[in-house]
Amino acid sequence: MTSLEAIRQAARLLIAHPMRSMLTLFGLVWGTAAVIFLQSWGAGLQIMLQDAFDRAGKNMIQIFPGGVSEEFSPAFDRRFLFYTQEDVDNVRARAKEVERIAGEARRFMASAYGQTALNTDVRGVEPDGIAIRGVHIASGRPIRRTDVDHRRRVVVVGHDARRNLLGLQGGIGSWVRLDGNPFQVIGILERVGTQLSRDGEEIDDQLWVPLSTHLALWPNELVDEEVLSALLVRVHDRKRIAEAKLEVRAIIAERLRVSPTDEEAIPMFSPVEMLENIPIDEQNGVAVLIAVTILAIGGIGILSMMLDSVRERRAEIGMRLAVGARRRDITRQFFLETFGIVGLGGLIGVAIGSGGVLLLAAESLRSGIPEDQRDLLPVPQLSLEAIVLAAGVMIVVGLLAGLIPAWRAARIDPAETLRAD
Amino acid sequence: MSAAIALEAVHKHYETGHADVHALRGIDLVIERGEWVSIMGPSGSGKTTLLEILGCLSQPSSGRVRLGDVALEGANSDALAAIRGREIGFVFQAFNLLPRLTLEENVALPLLYQRVPRAERRERAIEALRRVQLDHRAEHRPAEASGGERQRAAIARALVNRPSLILADEPTGNLDTVRGQEILGLMEEIHQAGATLVIVTHDPGIGAQAPRCLKIQDGELVADDRRPR
Repeated sequence: MTSLEAIRQAARLLIAHPMRSMLTLFGLVWGTAAVIFLQSWGAGLQIMLQDAFDRAGKNMIQIFPGGVSEEFSPAFDRRFLFYTQEDVDNVRARAKEVERIAGEARRFMASAYGQTALNTDVRGVEPDGIAIRGVHIASGRPIRRTDVDHRRRVVVVGHDARRNLLGLQGGIGSWVRLDGNPFQVIGILERVGTQLSRDGEEIDDQLWVPLSTHLALWPNELVDEEVLSALLVRVHDRKRIAEAKLEVRAIIAERLRVSPTDEEAIPMFSPVEMLENIPIDEQNGVAVLIAVTILAIGGIGILSMMLDSVRERRAEIGMRLAVGARRRDITRQFFLETFGIVGLGGLIGVAIGSGGVLLLAAESLRSGIPEDQRDLLPVPQLSLEAIVLAAGVMIVVGLLAGLIPAWRAARIDPAETLRAD
Repeated sequence: MSAAIALEAVHKHYETGHADVHALRGIDLVIERGEWVSIMGPSGSGKTTLLEILGCLSQPSSGRVRLGDVALEGANSDALAAIRGREIGFVFQAFNLLPRLTLEENVALPLLYQRVPRAERRERAIEALRRVQLDHRAEHRPAEASGGERQRAAIARALVNRPSLILADEPTGNLDTVRGQEILGLMEEIHQAGATLVIVTHDPGIGAQAPRCLKIQDGELVADDRRPR
């Protein structure tokens, strides 16, 4: 009995009882497809979330102003802390984990163009900050060092802010009013997309002006020096965010004369850590586990079908033994038959699962969905890993489902064939 | 030259759920090479059990069995399977053809377990079918053949491994008289070609056609009639 003949026998068995075969294979096919689909979906979800978090800035830590925590100072004497350019320079000079650092100023204010007036999130930025955000210019030019040095009144407009504020008429060279002050539009940002991590408005809705201009026009009245609304830091290594935080906090704490471990005095926030705190793997693991369970239940269906088959074919097995088959020939035959059926169900399942993944990932299907919704819709990632996982589970299912019927078949008494009438 | 089969004080017990069945109670029997023997007896007499032991399908509870030069005591199931595959051809009352195989594939089945290459299997199956005048139906399935043709195909299957011993269990039991006589005629031809033939039957008419007729009752041989031909 060669493997090929066993597979042919398996096919005959399936064709002989098409309804039973379909019902039996259903669990196996569905389970396999589900394993592949959920595994691929999980991989896509991971990528989607990472992208959505990275849109605020890749490998970024944001540092906001805080106050000395009660652990270190009584509440009535709470000291509020602000960052200055000196902090930026110190960190730039000393922090080894830091690739770039930049200050940012932010304020919500009235912006106006023609008849349109909006309340907008206006940011004071410098070139390093733009690099940390990782946003490119769609047309015109970005804010450069010279703009900062000369406190120019120029503005770069976010993708959606352009549509909402400038409408169809406005563009590069238009003049807008920010809090009553005229600014010339020098550039328009590329679309960033939905951010899962943001401070204030999304980048697409922001207006960017040179940091120095922002600080001069809209100073913080609480203090008499030029203070920054936030510091943006990009670390060298995504995996060393925690180390980078400690290092940077220690450097800043020195000037502010606060404890280097006071997280309330120097609050830091990083999208990377937020992403890590989402139990994606665990969630996905549970989903895949459920799919594997379905696959196992499919295996039980196959097991019962093969046990039926052994019962029905006692006379055949007896005859095969009588004409010279050894017990291990019979074991082999039933084992291969089960494997053939499991393999067939698995192949169909892999085809359906992969087909579903490829369909959902297809650009033609996705292009029908509005951009904003597409940003947060995972593109399932068909991976070899998913197929290997499904195949691995299937082999185990096939082994377990094949073992008992094959063993039963080989235990049949060859004399049976003379008695069964 | 040794006998084809020799049984010495063969007993067979069955343990069923409730009772200990003593199916064979001390059988001594020698069948020479080239003999044609019929075994007759009412149902429950032990004739099927005797056929199982002759066909190496089961081992006796006690006593000794020799097949040609080979003593079967202590042979394991693989050794018995090898003997069945090489030396013995079975013909069953219910034909036991596999419905989804063609007649040729059915006939070739014993060769599969002898590891005979595919081309030779085919050739020998056709040759065996020719001996039973069924080579023109090689590609048909059992359902497309008549009862007589099915039993002829089953006989071809018993012949395909060129066995020295052919065992038939009620070979005409499922056939009408005319077809039954046809099958018996065929068996006689096979016997004349040199094979040892043992037929189990409860039909006295068929039993009487054999040159030697054994009668079994309650697990014991009660008659051993030989008639000269």
